[in-house]
Amino acid sequence: MLSEQGKRNIEQAFQRAARGTVVRTSADVCDIALATDPQPDPRHGQLVLITVSSFAFRLITIFQVRDTPEIRSYYLADTDQRGIDESFHEVANLCCGALNREFSRSFAHLAMSTPYTLDARCISYLAQLQPQLLSHYLITINGSVQLRATLCMCCTAPVDIQLNAAEVEQTGELELF
Amino acid sequence: MSAIPDNAGLHRRTDALAQEVGRLRSLAVALERWHQDMISMMAQNRSMDAEGEDMHAIARQLIMVSLNAAIEGARAGNEARGFVAVAAEVKTLAHRVQTLAGELGKNLQTSSLITTATFQDIQAAGKMMMAAISGLEVQVRDLRLEIG
Repeated sequence: MLSEQGKRNIEQAFQRAARGTVVRTSADVCDIALATDPQPDPRHGQLVLITVSSFAFRLITIFQVRDTPEIRSYYLADTDQRGIDESFHEVANLCCGALNREFSRSFAHLAMSTPYTLDARCISYLAQLQPQLLSHYLITINGSVQLRATLCMCCTAPVDIQLNAAEVEQTGELELF
Repeated sequence: MSAIPDNAGLHRRTDALAQEVGRLRSLAVALERWHQDMISMMAQNRSMDAEGEDMHAIARQLIMVSLNAAIEGARAGNEARGFVAVAAEVKTLAHRVQTLAGELGKNLQTSSLITTATFQDIQAAGKMMMAAISGLEVQVRDLRLEIG
């Protein structure tokens, strides 16, 4: 239901969306590498999930976040009392919104959910959703802030996602981490 | 060749279409009902998850108690043999509870993930359907303007 080219297009769209939305300022350096698995030790931390759906598919974007000093100081001001997952709801919304805009070129009807936080251990059971695409990423900001993301796409009909050719050139290729 | 309907006929059909679209709008009520049910299910999952953690902690504590009991029994010598046997049985039971709590935890995590994925899909699909209905309403309005 999802071709290899379709998978690559989705991965590139996510890479572009993430680059523009997980950083706090455009001057920050964001590296995104494909990872072979989700966070090796998922016992700690939380997952922030958000979904973009159409009649033919649902794409769940998952951020694995841990409340480390690096992440806290990057995403939250000193006076901010929110949990790190809460601040990631905002990031997830922006990232999924960018994906939504990208996919709306190929699909007339698309909509987004609101973000939700789950225990990080739930990441081990994504196969239960029978996804056609499951890819994991290690995101590093300014060389020190690290977070993990996962894309999980389930299709109920053939899906063909087209990308804007000019934007694809800018994105470049992902390296395998 | 099909006959072109008269203006009155077009008006009637447009009104019927508008009524159908209006009825579709009530889908929002059903969507809200599903939304509320899913929120309840997720709250239930969280509560069961916390209970599972408690069960795990109790099993761990029981294992410690049974170990201490076995040590004390061994110290007491031959007369406490029965006590040691009971402590061993308690330890076996505690291990079984621990295994069960672990399995329960995994099942709850799977359930939480599937419930959340479904909840988000329903939420997004609801918005999608409402947008499609709005599109239909615009079409009906345009049709009305066209036929005068």
